[in-house]
Amino acid sequence: MPRYRGSSLKIKAKRHIISYLLILPALVFLVLFVFYPIFYSLMLSMQRYRLGFKTRQFIGLANYKTLFATTDFWNSMQITGVYTVIVMVVSIVLGLFLAVLISYRKKTEMFWQVIFFLPVAATMAAMSIVWRFILDQNFGFFNALLQAFGMRGTDWLQNPDTAFSVVTMINIWTNAGYTMVFFIAGLANISGELYESAALDGSNKLQDFLYISFPLLSPTTLFIVIIMTVRALASFDTIKVLTNGGPLQTTEILSLLLYREAFQFFNIGFASSIAVVFFVLTLVLAIVQLKFDKRVHYQ
Amino acid sequence: MRIKPFSIITTSFLVVLGTITIFPFIYMGVTSMKSAQEIVVAGLHVFPRHPVIDNYIKVFSRTLILRYLLNGSIVAGGVLIGQLIVNIPAAFAFAKRTFPLKKVLFLIIVAALVFPKYIAAIPNFLLLSKWRLIDKYPAMILPFIASPFCIFLMRQYIMTIPEDFFEAASLEGCGTGRLLVQILVPMIRPAIGSFSIFSIVAHWNDFFWPLIVVNSKHMFTPPAGIVFFADAEGGTDWGSLMAAAVLTVLPLVVIFLSNRKQFISSLTNTGLKG
Repeated sequence: MPRYRGSSLKIKAKRHIISYLLILPALVFLVLFVFYPIFYSLMLSMQRYRLGFKTRQFIGLANYKTLFATTDFWNSMQITGVYTVIVMVVSIVLGLFLAVLISYRKKTEMFWQVIFFLPVAATMAAMSIVWRFILDQNFGFFNALLQAFGMRGTDWLQNPDTAFSVVTMINIWTNAGYTMVFFIAGLANISGELYESAALDGSNKLQDFLYISFPLLSPTTLFIVIIMTVRALASFDTIKVLTNGGPLQTTEILSLLLYREAFQFFNIGFASSIAVVFFVLTLVLAIVQLKFDKRVHYQ
Repeated sequence: MRIKPFSIITTSFLVVLGTITIFPFIYMGVTSMKSAQEIVVAGLHVFPRHPVIDNYIKVFSRTLILRYLLNGSIVAGGVLIGQLIVNIPAAFAFAKRTFPLKKVLFLIIVAALVFPKYIAAIPNFLLLSKWRLIDKYPAMILPFIASPFCIFLMRQYIMTIPEDFFEAASLEGCGTGRLLVQILVPMIRPAIGSFSIFSIVAHWNDFFWPLIVVNSKHMFTPPAGIVFFADAEGGTDWGSLMAAAVLTVLPLVVIFLSNRKQFISSLTNTGLKG
């Protein structure tokens, strides 16, 4: 701290220069790869610009007009919305359920945590290939299992009726363990005395959960709702590998639409307008999250 | 254990859900040890009757898996080292020094925590193309060097260190550079460990960015490499694909199993950057 030696102005100035030099590298990278791109995306979204074509001109909000007029976009928005809500809600309910079941055990708690957390650590692109194999129409384990029970399977990831549900379930599989560990931390913060005194009044485990655990977990739950929404909204890897947005665009969430327009069609201007819409959606959620974050401290 | 039946019911729930959760991992492992003939007729036979290592031999000899694993290590390692070098000094300045505009600058940096990666993808791709870095390691490393999360985490940790340590050092004529390397870094080792796990997991697993800035197959990281192998060459050679998947997933699973507690807390102590 400059307090104890900053006698002359020169020393003070030198100290400030050192401080700025310490943050300068981080700031340079941040401006170059995070802040400038946001500004640049906004500019690009107002241009007619396709890689490989000479013409590049300012066209105002025309890209947004086109975007909001295409069925592809609204189809994708709808899929993204339904997908995000289902993945968020089911992952949280399942994670809470697992946390409650696991927290009762002292000896095996870590063992179960490791099992359910495994998908969170695993490389999703690789695990999606494994799921493709398990769900394979001819050689997959899942169809063999159905056959053993006298049912007929299908080509789960290529059938427009099933692809969306399957993709959603696989993403729940990757996220339930994630929400679980937050709930375990939340449950660990609840004083054991509450349960003891409730037990004296003859409370059973279901009542314990309904009247003690669940109300006291509500700040944790609010927090997880926000993070899970952001996480689900940003899904890409699993869906890209499992279905690539197909069949018949039934799994084309916003990130995939953006990827396709930007990096397969190189429709830079138009794709940037999707990126900006995406940015605004996430920003709204982030602001909500910051509001809750001030009040909620779970760890 | 007041009521026995309750415990039986909950245990069976856990066993069923646990089995479903780890089944893909088990099935990946066992299939990687099955011959092509056995995979075709496997049906419900999960475990191989005659375990073979042919799939691994094939993956090592006929694909670029070793190269992918090397690329993945270079990228994840490069990102991590760059992040630590660039962000720790900044974190120190925000935690222990006073200077004009400190609060504003810190708020700006923390704001970047919430930006989704998709907003920067197109401009960064154009910039890296202009610099002729497409298909090169820097394209996969540079965009991730600045880490608001790293600054935030390190700052929190450094703030808990008493001033005396730094005052004593600076009274003894220790320069800022030496102070950072010789005094600060050893003291924030737990925070560095925690951040390292977070960063390595994020960048080893990342599939989106390599897909965008890599064109030639010898530059792929493991996630991009295995998907390329599946879509272009591996096709329905499930045995080899499962062997490649095992090799991709294994490094992180080993780190996870050997540092269970730290691993879980390092992936969950931030909300937005999961």
